[in-house]
Amino acid sequence: MNTKELLMQLSNLDGPSGFETLVLDVIEPILAKVCDRTWRNRVGTLVGEKKGSGKKKVGIFAHVDEIGLVVARVEEGNFLRLETVGGVDPKVLLAQRVKVYTKKGTISGIVGTLPPHLQKEEHRSRFPDYDKIFVDVSCDSSADAVRVGDVCVFDVKAMEINGKVCGKALDNRAGCASLLLAAESLQKLKHESDVYFIFSSQEEINGPGASSIAYELELDEAIVVDVTHANVKQGAFPTIKLGEGPALAVGPAIDPEFYKRSVEIAQRNGVKTQIEPIPARSGTDTDQVQITRIGVRTLLVSIPLMYMHTPVEVVDPKDVEETSRLLALIVAE
Amino acid sequence: MYLKELSLINGTSGDESRVRSFIKQKIQDKVDEIWEDRLGNLIAFKKGTKANRKILFAAHMDEVGFMVTNIDEDGTLCFAPVGSVETQVVLGKQVKINDSIPGVIGFKPIHLQEKDQLLRPPKFEELRIYIGAKNKDEALKMVKIGDYVNFVTEYREDGRRASGKAFDDRVGCSVLMDVIDIQKRYENDVYFAFVVQEEVGLRGSAVVVEQVKPDVAIVIEGTIAGDDPGLEKDRWSTHLGEGPAVTFMHSGYVVNQKVFQAILSVAEKHGIPYQFRRRTQGSTDAGRLARTGPGTASGVISVPTRYIHSPVCMIDFDDYANTVRLIEKILEEGEVFAK
Repeated sequence: MNTKELLMQLSNLDGPSGFETLVLDVIEPILAKVCDRTWRNRVGTLVGEKKGSGKKKVGIFAHVDEIGLVVARVEEGNFLRLETVGGVDPKVLLAQRVKVYTKKGTISGIVGTLPPHLQKEEHRSRFPDYDKIFVDVSCDSSADAVRVGDVCVFDVKAMEINGKVCGKALDNRAGCASLLLAAESLQKLKHESDVYFIFSSQEEINGPGASSIAYELELDEAIVVDVTHANVKQGAFPTIKLGEGPALAVGPAIDPEFYKRSVEIAQRNGVKTQIEPIPARSGTDTDQVQITRIGVRTLLVSIPLMYMHTPVEVVDPKDVEETSRLLALIVAE
Repeated sequence: MYLKELSLINGTSGDESRVRSFIKQKIQDKVDEIWEDRLGNLIAFKKGTKANRKILFAAHMDEVGFMVTNIDEDGTLCFAPVGSVETQVVLGKQVKINDSIPGVIGFKPIHLQEKDQLLRPPKFEELRIYIGAKNKDEALKMVKIGDYVNFVTEYREDGRRASGKAFDDRVGCSVLMDVIDIQKRYENDVYFAFVVQEEVGLRGSAVVVEQVKPDVAIVIEGTIAGDDPGLEKDRWSTHLGEGPAVTFMHSGYVVNQKVFQAILSVAEKHGIPYQFRRRTQGSTDAGRLARTGPGTASGVISVPTRYIHSPVCMIDFDDYANTVRLIEKILEEGEVFAK
């Protein structure tokens, strides 16, 4: 698998929380080639099983959903009002092309803006919020097909910027890509543990995708792969850098022994890592997975990503590759 | 119709050469004379059969965009708007620097913003363009201070409408190219000026009057619509689908009554739908032409365009076709300006 191409392919797929099928339909056949069997659970989470000796069960999680929008009202003149699915910054929505999934196919829309000529002080000093934001679908000849409840996503194509990949939904398709790459390389490695590659649904809305499968599989250990903010200063915290390798989290949501072992494996094998202190909840699937059944020993591995939750998220394919290498090394121990 | 090609060409004010080359190549064999002037305006001439007077049509080639103003140590680019662009439309957009280097304008993730940041428009000085450079040295190998920056927007059309970038004023350029394509000879001398630097203060058109000395000038624009839920209905400027918009006044210029009435009379005589541009904000090259040299009797006809000065604008093809038709009829009615 070519990492850059895989990232762009996954970024271009649309799958807001609860609407992940289109993404899973692409991931599952790739996963099936490198696993013993695959299945989906009741809440839309995809699993690929790779049996070891059964000594231990390790789940590797990446959420497959992305942030998105949903049509809340259809107004006269082919204008739509939206609600958000997960945290969509209204500031990055204006003057964007969006895509609406209707029963009769996808519709192309534009988030409208007031031209500067017609703006007054009240417009200049404040962004419109979701009470004021509207989508104009009058440029699509099938605009009448839109209904309340239709899912809406950024309409943007991934691109390459000086070797980096830029696009929407790299939170967390970058994580998904690293799982697929790890599953591929694990075919050449011996592993005692039964390994489960888990593409979980509905993370962006704190949904049931990860905890449900952690319960079903009775995992001993879980590695959650997500993304973290790169190249942005955060007060007293270290700045995670793009291209400097995966960030391993420390904090209450992480099993300290599992973390220690993983850092040693990384060092032994020359995988460059960064450290991410998380003093409370991590805001990832780790939080739920850790407290499932009798408890699961957790590790959080994060791929550095710039401009999270915008249509121009950026990741370095090298970080994705290093993450996958580390995942394979940890479970093959 | 050349709107698709024109929309995809990058041509910020001061950087119109690519637009000019495209137009020149398409029209040079269809006119009697064509020249580029010192500022970069492209002027084409068609001799009239009677040559009673000179009529000038003008559309501007430039679009709003940005300029790289500095390069930070971390390899990101500082930039400033060229023409009137609000920061409200730039966040989370793909851009191209110097027509070649891809970049993006990101913003601090919503998770890390202060509460009062959520709806507060940032200043341009707070924003950066990321081009994937590790540091200033790497960035300097890719770009330089003064490079122009454009939005990257696909052009699309479906049914009765088109959407894309730079419709202000590539739609005007395309309309005039279509008029040239009709290839008729009219009674009056006709000049077509594709001008530069409109968005930075109506500058290119200022040197056209001296070269052409027109009796009458009509500016073709893609103008503000505002016919959407962002404004109360009684505050809309023009309505998509209701025909070319005729301007009675805008910032700094009340349209010459003779020209204004002549446009309306031709539209009515030929049953071409039209509407008035009902807001007076903004200005056009008509204002500049009117106050240059001895003054020119100028008017404005526009294709209503939603969301101008943003990365993605929208027009209605009926309005476009009726604008071309209205200009054609104005040219055929050679004596309409004599009254």
